Amino acid sequence: MLALRGTLNAGLVKALGINNNVPVLSNVLSTSSIVLKRNQTTVPQTGAEQNVALDKKKTYSPFQNTNNMAEFAVARLDDLLNWGRKGSLWPLTFGLACCAVEMMHIAAPRYDMDRYGVVFRASPRQADVIIVAGTLTNKMAPALRKVYDQMPEPRWVISMGSCANGGGYYHYSYSVVRGCDRIVPVDIYVPGCPPTAEALLYGILQLQKKVKRMKTVQMWYRK
Amino acid sequence: MAKYITGALDKLKVTFDILKQNGGIRGSLYQLFRTDELKNGTVVGTDKYGNTYYENNRYFVVFLDYDGSQVPAEWYGWLHYKTDLPPTVKPSVKYKWMVDHTENKSGTSEAYMPFSTTKSKIQAWDPNARKE
Repeated sequence: MLALRGTLNAGLVKALGINNNVPVLSNVLSTSSIVLKRNQTTVPQTGAEQNVALDKKKTYSPFQNTNNMAEFAVARLDDLLNWGRKGSLWPLTFGLACCAVEMMHIAAPRYDMDRYGVVFRASPRQADVIIVAGTLTNKMAPALRKVYDQMPEPRWVISMGSCANGGGYYHYSYSVVRGCDRIVPVDIYVPGCPPTAEALLYGILQLQKKVKRMKTVQMWYRK
Repeated sequence: MAKYITGALDKLKVTFDILKQNGGIRGSLYQLFRTDELKNGTVVGTDKYGNTYYENNRYFVVFLDYDGSQVPAEWYGWLHYKTDLPPTVKPSVKYKWMVDHTENKSGTSEAYMPFSTTKSKIQAWDPNARKE
């Protein structure tokens, strides 16, 4: 159909690989063939992409392939445990710099982290997750480690912002730790300087997903 | 007084509508468990992941497994009020060079793993290497 419109379109059809007739292709202007090789055509595709079949139905539980009744029961116990844990991730307020302002924003009504069961705690002994928000200095590092050590298991760490991820702007400073993962093991890195409240919320949802994959009871059973 | 009664009746109707749309008590509890939210609205369409898009004064999406990165490019504009025409009404333009949308694969086997392009600072000892 396109080929009827003239030689240029005929060349276009051929260069797109619809017809691999090489001798005819050589007749086309060289400039147009270069453009087409770089795949920059502005002719929209029609049809073809419709109805991409769903590969499989999404399930709540990540533990699907169980072999016997015991494994199934243990997997469901894990689901229950993880559901409880991911629905009540209590973070510790560990605001160090300007990221802490964004951390306040997700606690405020617009982003409202309380609806995910995320409630700030003032004591590390009541917290599940520590959000390291801001530049971690050498002077603060022992305090971070101490606070992290006081948290009960299971515990998670969210590193928020460039400074906590890898030093960020202060990477070459004499007094800054180049990433809080040098002090504590980090689960989720939230990029940004500072990350938006939305980004941090997405990080928390990613942590929920990670918690959902925990195999506490299953590992106990396997041992 | 009548205002409060009709107001309460309206709320009750909305509650029943929501319960009905989410498949009764059982279905609603399941929906609440899965997405932490109960809403009703008119269905606008579904995307390739099976997520359903609704309209009820505001536009919203109900995920099968909620993750914001699952919203494909063609639905993104509609969901974020950039346009009022969903891709079911006005299909988005597709080009040959456009890659297919993928969700965030972090935590799965297909997760993005960057590799270092700089030379390693450590040189491992190879016991089989011949002495110069």
